[in-house]
Amino acid sequence: MATAWESVRALASGFATTFKHLWRPPITEEYPEYKRPLPVRSRARIILTRDPDGAERCVACYLCSAVCPVSCISMQATESEDGRRYAAWFRINFARCIYCGFCEEACPTSAIQLTPDFENCQRDILKLVYEKQDLLVDHQGKDKEYNFYKYAGVATDVGAKGAHHREEKPVNIRSNLP
Amino acid sequence: MPKLIIDDQEIEVASGTKVIQAAEQLGIMIPRFCYHPALGSVGACRVCAVKLLEGRLKGVQMSCMIDAQDGMVVSTTDEEAVDFRTHVIEWLMLNHPHDCPVCDEGGHCLLQDMTVSGGHGIRRYLGKKRTYQDQYLGPLIRHEMNRCIHCYRCSRFYQEFCGYRDLGALQSANRTYFGRFQDGILDSPFTGNLSDICPTGVYTDKPSRFRGRRWDYQRSPSLCIHCCLGCHTIATGRYREIVRQEARFSEAVNGHFICDRGRYGFFYANHEARPRRARVAGDEVSYDQALQALKAKLAEISKRSGPGAIACVSSDRSSLETQAVLKRIGRMRGWRNFSGFMPQGLAQKVQLAVARLEPALSVSLRELEGADFIVVVGADPINEAPMLALALRQARRKGAAIAVIDPRPIALPFDFQHVAMVPGAISLGLGLLARGSPDEAAIEKLGPPVSDFYAALPTPEVMNASDQKRLSPLIRDLRSSRRPVIVCGTAVGPATVVGLAADWALLLQAVGKKAGLFYLLPGANAFSAGILSDPEDTFEKTVEGIENGSIKALMLVENNPFWQFPDRARLEQALARLDLLVVLDYLNSAAAQQAHIFLPTATLYEIGGLFVNQEGRVQAAQRAHSGGIPIAQSGGGGHPPRIYGAGVPGAEPRPAWRTLAELVEEVVPPDEARMQSEVGVWLAEEDPRFADLPPFAELPEDGARLNHKRDGASRFLVNWTAELQKSRGFDDSFELLAVDWTFGTEELAVYSACLKALERKPGLLMHPDDAGRLGLTDGDEVAMQLDRGTLKVPVGVVANMAPGVIVLPRHRLLEWQRLACGRIRLERDRIRKAASPQGPKP
Amino acid sequence: MLTWIAGFILLIVKLGLVLGVLLLLAAYLVWVERKFLARLQIRYGPNRAGKFGLLQPIADTIKMMTKEDTVPEAADRIIFLGAPAVVALTALLMFAVVPFGPTLMIAGRQIPLVITDLNVGLLFIFALSSLAVYGVALGGWASNSKFSLLGGIRGAAQMISYELALGLALVPIVLLARSLSLVDIVNAQADYPFVVVQPISFAIFVIAAMAESKRIPFDLPEAENELGAGYHTEYSGMRFGLFFLGEYVHMQVFGALVAVFFLGGWRGPWLPPPVWLLLKIMLVALIMIWIRGTLPRLRYDQLMALGWKVLIPLALVNIMVTGAVSLL
Repeated sequence: MATAWESVRALASGFATTFKHLWRPPITEEYPEYKRPLPVRSRARIILTRDPDGAERCVACYLCSAVCPVSCISMQATESEDGRRYAAWFRINFARCIYCGFCEEACPTSAIQLTPDFENCQRDILKLVYEKQDLLVDHQGKDKEYNFYKYAGVATDVGAKGAHHREEKPVNIRSNLP
Repeated sequence: MPKLIIDDQEIEVASGTKVIQAAEQLGIMIPRFCYHPALGSVGACRVCAVKLLEGRLKGVQMSCMIDAQDGMVVSTTDEEAVDFRTHVIEWLMLNHPHDCPVCDEGGHCLLQDMTVSGGHGIRRYLGKKRTYQDQYLGPLIRHEMNRCIHCYRCSRFYQEFCGYRDLGALQSANRTYFGRFQDGILDSPFTGNLSDICPTGVYTDKPSRFRGRRWDYQRSPSLCIHCCLGCHTIATGRYREIVRQEARFSEAVNGHFICDRGRYGFFYANHEARPRRARVAGDEVSYDQALQALKAKLAEISKRSGPGAIACVSSDRSSLETQAVLKRIGRMRGWRNFSGFMPQGLAQKVQLAVARLEPALSVSLRELEGADFIVVVGADPINEAPMLALALRQARRKGAAIAVIDPRPIALPFDFQHVAMVPGAISLGLGLLARGSPDEAAIEKLGPPVSDFYAALPTPEVMNASDQKRLSPLIRDLRSSRRPVIVCGTAVGPATVVGLAADWALLLQAVGKKAGLFYLLPGANAFSAGILSDPEDTFEKTVEGIENGSIKALMLVENNPFWQFPDRARLEQALARLDLLVVLDYLNSAAAQQAHIFLPTATLYEIGGLFVNQEGRVQAAQRAHSGGIPIAQSGGGGHPPRIYGAGVPGAEPRPAWRTLAELVEEVVPPDEARMQSEVGVWLAEEDPRFADLPPFAELPEDGARLNHKRDGASRFLVNWTAELQKSRGFDDSFELLAVDWTFGTEELAVYSACLKALERKPGLLMHPDDAGRLGLTDGDEVAMQLDRGTLKVPVGVVANMAPGVIVLPRHRLLEWQRLACGRIRLERDRIRKAASPQGPKP
Repeated sequence: MLTWIAGFILLIVKLGLVLGVLLLLAAYLVWVERKFLARLQIRYGPNRAGKFGLLQPIADTIKMMTKEDTVPEAADRIIFLGAPAVVALTALLMFAVVPFGPTLMIAGRQIPLVITDLNVGLLFIFALSSLAVYGVALGGWASNSKFSLLGGIRGAAQMISYELALGLALVPIVLLARSLSLVDIVNAQADYPFVVVQPISFAIFVIAAMAESKRIPFDLPEAENELGAGYHTEYSGMRFGLFFLGEYVHMQVFGALVAVFFLGGWRGPWLPPPVWLLLKIMLVALIMIWIRGTLPRLRYDQLMALGWKVLIPLALVNIMVTGAVSLL
């Protein structure tokens, strides 16, 4: 009996709550009239950032395209004169993108990042296919510090062999002295 | 046969099997870096640790170093072993750079896999990392020594397995360095394998550098068609082009490796100049328009001059399907069929070889490695079929004695005895070897036909003393051998040699040896071209037919006579006389450019196909991608074009057999699925040797050998004594040999830009005696007066070749086609020193 | 003959009127539901199409009419196409016996404000609500999809189970009214609505009616988060619209039935009888929406337990008590 009473009370309190809601002003933010400032980590339009020295961060390692669940990223890697690996072309099909942010998570160089700018609807679907020049920006995005080539062991304009973070001088192969 | 237990599963293995192999047989992959089935064990990396629980040996042990023994109980998952392996991974990673994103190995890197599966996700070591300077190793392999984990696979492969010395271990201890003493192109023609065997990214493939990751690639089992061996490859497609080719393991053919010509020869399929539209009279038209024009033209010529005025020529690089369809429609329509072997007498030799290769005699490339005596006759393994040289080296490493009887300068990565003889004398030398190989008493006992054959063999007196002396150690080795193999080429020797090699192998079998025979043929599908072609057929006859007006129309199917026909001027004149020249090809060859009607065909990467290698093994290649203009080309280097469309640009090329089938729809249904099932039936109708093959869709991984039996009575060709005597004439003229080199003479591989740097500078090679008599020194430029003009070439003087012979590579950079047909002898006064631009040497 | 034609025309007019009101009401009931539900959840609800979103039902109708009508390849085509009609049809047909006013006298003719006064009206309603099961079960089965099938089976089981409670809840009403005709039942409530004497019956009927119309908390056959959209997962366009329409017509029918059986039907002071009926229907509908906005969906075992172990025994006891009281 007590349980029954409790159930009735529980039901009643539920109905009371919804009834009270009926008289409260709605909390809906009406979008085109009011645009809410979004957190910096919210996920929308993708950009390719540059390192603090102004060079492209993307090394076209194909990890973002591999992790992309909808296969909307494609690219072709190539090598520059000074030993950098970079993207010859880089294409994101935003018509297909689901803004899951996996690409950003997979990126080993902090190159690919998502921005809060979500208002990029287009009537022509081809306008949603972004090429590298559309994606590349002139800032570091959320990661202000990282420069991959200062840590990677490969010789580039950023540093020769042995000149990177925590590296010894190259081994002299013509001497057996320790 | 020890019986052991690995992870609670019992297995019985052959004695001498390592624990790591035994585990593999159970399907347990023990981690490994240094161990490789082809290279064996060295115990360098320590990552294959397992724990032995029972048996004489106990505790954590390296599974690649211990033989499986009776009563062993092995645990690969024991806590102690797992912990040990985890630590090994961590210490191997101490110095490994943080560059996986820019490393091409990433994605199929053994070290990466093991690091991830070993759970070593965070680097604990915060000290400084060892670094190395990298070296330039040529256009094929990129060096990045920082990544090295010192497994020694590269130096073991390069030095022990291949026998080249210019890459190996330098320095010591933790600073061990793998490279050359100085930067430079690697000597070996097997360098591409370094990128396959390196467990991490020290050696990466340069032509496919940064083209994609393994997971993006469309990889499919394919075949190498750059020589007759039919090595197994994995073709890799990406963005509508073939970007890479790797070795595919094959038990019967190539084992784990392939040569650089096969690995990097694929660029013809992506070449910018590759024709992708049909052409009629030089104008690009649609495929169907060209086909209709062709049909009309053929009908008209057939009506006017009879079907015999139409000749179709197949080639040894066409697939078996194409050859079969061409043969069939040719026969049904009454067209003349030619096989398209260009050099003088080659067709005859190929047909003879194909006819004489019996299942009882034939050995595969891998079986060759088990021989204990190998005589290579009239073949230059490293230049004609590089993987043969590698197989020979493996036989040599196991103790086989190897001799090469060939006029050319032969270089092989192992010690062998080279008997340099002029081509005409090879059969004589071979006859002498054959006479010396068995005991005469044993022959008497066997009776005819063996004794008849033996009696007809030449006696030692017919040969000069120096040659006899050179042959006698071979005879000694041969007598003591149990498993001799005769490797016989078809490029330079006379046809007699081809037959004699088979007869000799039969003789050796008759006296109780497990003898084998291994022919080298001139092309990927030369075996089936040999079977399907007319015994009387030579390409020269086709040219004669055109010249005398009996052939009005010529259809070249994946064939470019300008590449191999030795008389370019005559060929050009002949082709100009034709009413109709039709070319079906995937190369923009000289013939294709002259064609009245041109139809583009697809390469084996786009359609797959069947190929019969030199031992009659029918093997299947699968399509790697579906064709079209590579995105790298359609995008003009930038991003792919921004256009909608369901079709693939440049996808017009079709399989040659399909085009042919469409040409005569009432004869052949142009249906791919039906084609697959019917081609086997047609082949069986054409030649009984194809009758026993399994359905092509069910071909085993290693293919199926063509099986044909001959009557025992007709096995020996006793009547070649006359031929032998005939070939003994010597005079003062040179015998000119047009030969193939590893790089620069094979029609398809010359489209590969990366291989151009590996080509030797083409020139004339001659013996020091001959050079001395002509007053030439190494490096001189000579002017050769050939039948069709003068050819200026630098001369190379090499000691290890036969005197009286000059060797000229059929190199893409040489106009050797000025030789004219039939011309193999060149009077000495036709070679003169050309006026040197630097003036006469002191 | 003339009487017959006049009767016929009258019938057609009545039919048209009822059908028009029903369909229009169904459309706007959707709007009401969305609006009301939104306010329960502190939202605005549809407010873009027209003032207060009043054109939303029209926009929805246009959308559903113009959408592609897809039929799954593996579906049993004929049954698939027919099932939505069964649902909509049975729901609409039930209104045939609902009186919406007293008999009018126009030009000396008696015009009963009911489409047809069946003397077994109650049984007719039961029969039709049983038939409605077919629409759900067949739609679910014919789609040849596991979601649909599960939804269809759940729907069939649920509707058959609650049919009993529904029927048993009305037995006391029949006992009180001594008639199966809905007109008579309404007339029997001239003094007081039956809800006063039969609150238990009322509660059981309302609960069972909600279960019959497959509304939250009894929407297991649809159960979006488990079954896609349940029995109508594979439907699109206007065929889905028919299922949708069926549901909202059901809501009105049950509102009307609650009014007829318990709230005195069209009876009420001051306002014209049909308006009273409409008001009562709307009241019941609003309560149903409120319930939807408050209660979570029952689990399947809870649903069955409620039906078989609570409602049916309670209804039986109620019948006995009512019988005993009326005998006394």
